[in-house]
Amino acid sequence: MAFISSGYNPDKPMENRISDIGPRHFSEFLPPVIKNNKGKWLWHEILEPGVLMHKAESGDEVYTVRVGSARLMGVETLREALDVADKHCDGYLRFTTRNNIEFMVDSKDKVQSLKDDLQSRKFPGGSYKFPVGGTGAGITNIVHTQGWVHCHTPATDASGTVKVVLDELFEEFQNMRMPAPLRISMACCLNMCGAVHCSDIAILGYHRKPPVIDHEEVDNLCEIPLAVASCPTAAIRPSKTTIKDSRTGEEKSVKTVAIKNERCMFCGNCYTMCPALPLTDAEGDGLVIMAGGKVSNRISNPEFSKVIVAFIPNETPRWPQLAKVMRQLVDAYVNNARKYERFGQWAERIGWERFFEITGLEFTHHLIDDFRDPAYYTWRQTTNFKF
Amino acid sequence: MPKHETPLLDQLESGPWPSFVDDLKRQAESRHQKQNEIEYQIPVDVVDDLLGLLELSYKEGEVHWKHGGIVGVFGYGGGVIGRYCDQPKEFPGVAHFHTIRVNQPAAKYYKTDFLRQLCDLWDFRGSGLTNMHGSTGDIVLLGTRTEQLEEIFYELTHNMNNDLGGSGSNLRTPEACLGESRCQYACYDSQELCYQLTMEYQDELHRPAFPYKFKFKFDACPNGCVAAIARADLSFIGTWRDDIRIDQEAVAAYVGGELKPNAGAHAGKDWGPFDINKEVIDLCPTECMSMENGKLVINNRECTRCMHCINTMPRALRIGNDRGLSILCGAKAPILDGAQMSSLLVPFVKVEEPYDEIKEVIENIWDWWMEEGKNRERLGETMKRQGFQKLLEVTGIKAMPQHVQEPRHNPYIFWKEEEVPGGFDRDIKDYRLRHPK
Amino acid sequence: MGGALEKTGGEMEKEAAKQEILNFLESKSGSKTKFYFNDFTKLFPDMKARDVKKALSELVQEEKMMYWSSGSTTLYGLKGSGKKEED
Repeated sequence: MAFISSGYNPDKPMENRISDIGPRHFSEFLPPVIKNNKGKWLWHEILEPGVLMHKAESGDEVYTVRVGSARLMGVETLREALDVADKHCDGYLRFTTRNNIEFMVDSKDKVQSLKDDLQSRKFPGGSYKFPVGGTGAGITNIVHTQGWVHCHTPATDASGTVKVVLDELFEEFQNMRMPAPLRISMACCLNMCGAVHCSDIAILGYHRKPPVIDHEEVDNLCEIPLAVASCPTAAIRPSKTTIKDSRTGEEKSVKTVAIKNERCMFCGNCYTMCPALPLTDAEGDGLVIMAGGKVSNRISNPEFSKVIVAFIPNETPRWPQLAKVMRQLVDAYVNNARKYERFGQWAERIGWERFFEITGLEFTHHLIDDFRDPAYYTWRQTTNFKF
Repeated sequence: MPKHETPLLDQLESGPWPSFVDDLKRQAESRHQKQNEIEYQIPVDVVDDLLGLLELSYKEGEVHWKHGGIVGVFGYGGGVIGRYCDQPKEFPGVAHFHTIRVNQPAAKYYKTDFLRQLCDLWDFRGSGLTNMHGSTGDIVLLGTRTEQLEEIFYELTHNMNNDLGGSGSNLRTPEACLGESRCQYACYDSQELCYQLTMEYQDELHRPAFPYKFKFKFDACPNGCVAAIARADLSFIGTWRDDIRIDQEAVAAYVGGELKPNAGAHAGKDWGPFDINKEVIDLCPTECMSMENGKLVINNRECTRCMHCINTMPRALRIGNDRGLSILCGAKAPILDGAQMSSLLVPFVKVEEPYDEIKEVIENIWDWWMEEGKNRERLGETMKRQGFQKLLEVTGIKAMPQHVQEPRHNPYIFWKEEEVPGGFDRDIKDYRLRHPK
Repeated sequence: MGGALEKTGGEMEKEAAKQEILNFLESKSGSKTKFYFNDFTKLFPDMKARDVKKALSELVQEEKMMYWSSGSTTLYGLKGSGKKEED
């Protein structure tokens, strides 16, 4: 493995340096039928799950075949998607915000062979590489974060939980039988890199134990003032303690931190600043389920998701309790909501007391807000409730 | 033979949804197969070791990554996230495993030759693993070693004419919905505005000087396909202020059942024949629609442009012609005091080059937030702490009822001295003339 | 001409600011090595935040200072300072 230089000279980092050039202009990458009709589209129709047709003023039509993908993708699979685009779509494709891939063709007679090609490609384990679907009143791809694959503060794995849920709900990805779109999102700790707080259903990794302090290493690895400042609830303060040196066995006094456990909200920000404060813990870590949020302004205002399941353990590799809860939620929604009602609108119409009855979820004290001022506005200040 | 046994991960190969485990194994195998053709610049078995490490996390239920501290390439304060594995002896291939964020083209259209070039570069100098795309919108390249960072940046800028994205206390990589490129609902060119502001603020994107992260997102209509209202410190959401265009013949065709409602989005279930009263007129949140003599009538002055009727009958109803965008600000995820959505600041602005009106709002907000924002405080929190009035003051925008859901619940108005006739300074002697002790 | 003079004045002000930043970092180096952007604006109550940023960016270009990132937030410090656990 010999080092091969790109041309970069480490002794003169500014030599021939190109910076601040931004991304490529999108117009370089638009398929001709898109470029020619930009800003002149008349209407669209979903011809079947996963296949859209957009009609332009010029009479041109573009047919889009949407497929799901695992967000974590090697270049081998990515190249395979490019092969499909070269073969059927003149070398163009696009990705959606929710990690779907869209293949576009400019006439209807090109759709079937494209679709068949995509559906026929499978991994050795039997899963689809490019399942067609994800349109209309159904489930589309789950947006998610890194999890155990690449993050340092996750309370669960993102790719695994998403795979399990989409396996369980796969027929909904290829169907459009729901009252409205159901958007599911996943974030692997409460920092929510994937902003899941306005999703119909959100799966959220959650720690339940404060960091464990490696007193021997705190002062070696970390700047204590930064660790103290990193805590959003001011639960960390500088401190001193006596420890036994792990090598010499001698007692010594060290600078460290002390943590007020009852103030800890388990965010992991201190671990980011100080690797001597880990909080990952097999028994402590697991999942929270939230529901009833949305971002669209359609019919009613955008809304936040609410916590409806306080804890599900990390039962690797297939999280059976998670899959079961997701199935319960989807079935209850499909069978009870009215046409056009998003998940949260349905829950609000029937009342949350009825929601827990219909879904079969247990309501526990953990689901009553007790965090600062906004909590009050979630309690019930009326006699209008159902038995 | 795989380098590490992965009995737990193997159970994620079955089922219909694309298996990331099969994908990782494919990538691992390909590196071994091609090692005589490609002079890999990081360990050949990087993906094998990632699988091994991930299997360990699945076995123990705990994570094995540490944060890095590396920020970017020389002169940049963002674009790279440092990662180190806490088991480097067991899994040397992923001892360093840094992420690179590459600024994606607006709305993520590509030509395959561009992505092939990127695949070759990343295969050669990194793990070959990607996210297409990360949550913010960047192309995410997962896993390389420190000494490759400058090399990758050099090739990216010199050979591919593309820059890194943002991380840390920067302007983060802006993102737009596909807008006018393929959507009849687009009220402005979200891709173009996204590109132009990304270019205008390259310094803010690469060289951090903000209290915390700052996000722009561009939704071309109120349907909100990139979730601007929930995710962005500044949300640019398309809207119009004249009348919805009506094609009465198409309305009749929907009523008569000749056209599929909702563009076919509900086709998977038999919901019965389309009922325009029940499905459109009665669901209109402002009750501004009616049928009169077989014609659809909209009282546009009362319409709040929620998109429901247009989404339901896209061939009959179209957005108005006097288009622009609304600017809302302050969205964030829950930490610390709870999630916030963006609040309406500018109800309407035309989207016209060189976008001076929009830039003025942005820069006034930044000047205030850079001055007053506490460390790690998002714009929405500064707004909450200092009040919406302060935001109006720094942006020079006059208060209007559109700014609130409802007027305040308490009378604790902090009147300013200049707002009260005669000011606050009074002479006690003067008072005593009227009120002797 | 006035513009050129102003620019020179600005340059001098910036050079002085850069030195003050370095002095500040040296004085703190015993206890703390990483600082938020706001810690620097406090040193220059009369300067615009954007001008403070220009001074910092130049110090990074001159390889006297460096960035440190938590991923979500970025801090500044003297080049080569601070505790590192990795290689």
